[in-house]
Amino acid sequence: MTILSIAFGTVFYLLQVVSGESGYAQNGDFEDAELDDYSFSCYSQLEVDGSQHLLSCAFEDPDVNSTNLEFEICGALLEVNCLNFSKLQETYFVKTKKFLLIGDSKICVKLGGKHITCRKMNIVKRVKPEAPFDIRVIYREEANDFVVTFNTSHLQKKYVKDLMHEVAYRQEKNENDWMHVNLSSTKLTLLQRKLQPDAMYEIKVRSIPNTNYFEGIWSEWSPSFHFRTPETTIGEMDPVLLIISIVSFFSVALMVILACVLWKKRIKPIVWPSLPDHKKTLEQLCKKPKKNLNVSFNPESFLDCQIHKVDGIQAKDEAEGFLQDTFPPQLDDSEKQRLGGGVQGHNWPSQHEVITPKTFRGDSPLGCLAGNVSVCDAPVLASSRSPDCREGGKNGPQVYQGLLLGTGTTNSTLPPSFPFQSGILTLNPAVQGQPLLTYLGSSQEEAYVTMSSFYQNQ
Amino acid sequence: MFHVSFRYIFGIPPLILVLLPVASSDCDIEGKDGKEYQNVLMISIDELLDSMIEIDSNCLNNESNFFKKHSCDDNKEPMFLYRAARKLKQFLKMNISEDFNLHLSRVSQGTLKLLNCTIKVKGRKPPSLGEAQPTKNLEENKSLKEHKKQNDLCFLKILLQKIKTCWNKILRDAKEH
Repeated sequence: MTILSIAFGTVFYLLQVVSGESGYAQNGDFEDAELDDYSFSCYSQLEVDGSQHLLSCAFEDPDVNSTNLEFEICGALLEVNCLNFSKLQETYFVKTKKFLLIGDSKICVKLGGKHITCRKMNIVKRVKPEAPFDIRVIYREEANDFVVTFNTSHLQKKYVKDLMHEVAYRQEKNENDWMHVNLSSTKLTLLQRKLQPDAMYEIKVRSIPNTNYFEGIWSEWSPSFHFRTPETTIGEMDPVLLIISIVSFFSVALMVILACVLWKKRIKPIVWPSLPDHKKTLEQLCKKPKKNLNVSFNPESFLDCQIHKVDGIQAKDEAEGFLQDTFPPQLDDSEKQRLGGGVQGHNWPSQHEVITPKTFRGDSPLGCLAGNVSVCDAPVLASSRSPDCREGGKNGPQVYQGLLLGTGTTNSTLPPSFPFQSGILTLNPAVQGQPLLTYLGSSQEEAYVTMSSFYQNQ
Repeated sequence: MFHVSFRYIFGIPPLILVLLPVASSDCDIEGKDGKEYQNVLMISIDELLDSMIEIDSNCLNNESNFFKKHSCDDNKEPMFLYRAARKLKQFLKMNISEDFNLHLSRVSQGTLKLLNCTIKVKGRKPPSLGEAQPTKNLEENKSLKEHKKQNDLCFLKILLQKIKTCWNKILRDAKEH
């Protein structure tokens, strides 16, 4: 039993030792725990030199001793099975036209002819484009923007033609504040309002394959371009535009002030004219004018006026005689007696006797007789004329002018006012005939005139 | 009763064996989405055709036997491409230029890689291209050589055009389905 256990123990120990030996893979390749140190990465650049392609590989661990290490690629090659890499410092590369560009290749690290580590890779999936170049920024004053243009060698290539570009720009004082813009063309427009005025900017661009077949990694950044944004001061407006804006502002202000000042007097009556109120108009017409109203029964106030007393009978005869000469003999005595008014003027002495003053009816416009001349004006005018007898005297002859004209004349320029001081002038419409009509017409015209003049004064 | 069973035993299996190659294809087309063809093969085919632009497409006096035997008919596209791709290899010997040979190899090898065919074709001696007969004198050999070269280039041009047409047909059918 003891011997047996010892034998088993020895066997197990040997097994453990044997299995503890690092890596004896089935395929015979030597694989050990140091494989991770030889991990590498590769990228390809197609048509980098005419029609030649470039495949570059490097160890991910920079501390790897690559003195005797070699790289080899096999598969997906034209006319040959495998190609060996060349070494440049710590980078291994192969430059050839013989890439099939379809299918996977196997890249192996060799040490002394033996493969240390291998990796399957599709060359078209690890394409690194060439860096863009010739980046320029042009400022357009009329458009207030910056046009960024750059060039890339892939525009003339056959395989990797479609790229995605990334433009990065920043204000130089903000070190890590990069702005990124992606585009598929080689032209970009930056608006001026999105940039700080009077500032220095740095801009650069890089590319990556953008096709459905070729894939890869970002290219190197292009050389940076520096540009300064112009000063955008508000005062640098167009002078003509400035003048126009100032003038228009002042014009508007002036119009507003004038509108406020002239609103009630000028603008509102035109824009919103007041309709005449008949009741008010009538009241205005028939109310006593307060101005120049001097009603007095004191004889001393009429000292300036020439008052002639009239002998009733004589005056009546003379009036009859006078009236017969001028009017048709239809005039009644009653009518004649009612003729009255301001007997003025030395030109008509006889008539002074004819006309008798009558009661003053200025207060009641309703007292006007129908069919006769409206004498509502008479008391008004008479009252207005009372303090001014001299003027009334001058207009004395005009009193009878209407009567005289009534006989035959049709055109008559009637005075706008009655020269009568007081009394009612009533005429028989039958007697008057034409004179009445003209008189009526004149008084009507006078009434209309008065109305319109009053309306205008309103 | 025996003759009936004989009919089934000796009649039907040979029939099946004969019909199977027609119905099934030994090639599995991998690039039916057209990415490899449009981004790689088509570029090389166009480069080759551009280099032979001076050759007229009607240069062949009589239709080649190859095209009589093989055509891009329905359900026969992979086989045609397979045979055409193998045929292209014969023209590598012409050594027109390095780039020419590389594009030719890319079209041939790329097509075969995408077809992934399992057909085993019997090896037979490929027909000679442009070999002069030693019995004739040098000048006649040269002219014959030149004439054959032109014929070969003409055949190559037509072959490339038919390969392009057949690929387009495969991709069109793949999109429709």
